[in-house]
Amino acid sequence: MFIYTREAHPGENVPHHDTMERKLAGARLLREETGIIRDILVDDLAGTVHRAYGLMPNMTWVIDRGGRVAYKADWTSAANVEAFLDRLAAARTRHLLGTAPVMYQTQQVEFRRTDRTRFMQHLGRNGPRAVTEFENAQKLWARRR
Amino acid sequence: MRHRTTTPHFDAYVAAGGDLADEAAFWASARAGQPAPDFSLPRLEDGTQVSLAGLWRSRPLVMEFGSFT
Repeated sequence: MFIYTREAHPGENVPHHDTMERKLAGARLLREETGIIRDILVDDLAGTVHRAYGLMPNMTWVIDRGGRVAYKADWTSAANVEAFLDRLAAARTRHLLGTAPVMYQTQQVEFRRTDRTRFMQHLGRNGPRAVTEFENAQKLWARRR
Repeated sequence: MRHRTTTPHFDAYVAAGGDLADEAAFWASARAGQPAPDFSLPRLEDGTQVSLAGLWRSRPLVMEFGSFT
């Protein structure tokens, strides 16, 4: 399931949502462009659900059948999630053999393409302002280091 | 610090430390093993209200958050 949040990089073509109609239009655009078939749920304008889950722009969470958090990640790695879901499914049978879920924390590196061309193209699709603002942000990040 | 949804300019958001605040908000959110926050949201397809608890009750729920970008 996909929860549609505020636009991470609003621009002239894909603007910041100031009305629910605009937000729904953005969600439809997402559906059309990506062709995802999962259910898309649309968060409210205040980003209530997004805020409750921590506001990162592309998180993946897995909630188990008891309503408890089984997995939370601040970015989405399909491979990582799928591997976890396999282990979760296997653990359901292992439960009968005397194991139970216990929380532990990890941090890890993920390997991301260094070629940002495609990402910049997506920003350009949102509008020239999205590109300019991202470039400005890159300068800010460089100053932080 | 102004909240992300009130700052429609990405550079202003970063300048205000919004990205760092959002990372902190993520780590402060529900931890593994804790109850996940339950909400009802409209489904894009038909507008029906869907409760998250209703979805995870039958099988593990994979929730991806995102936008068009």
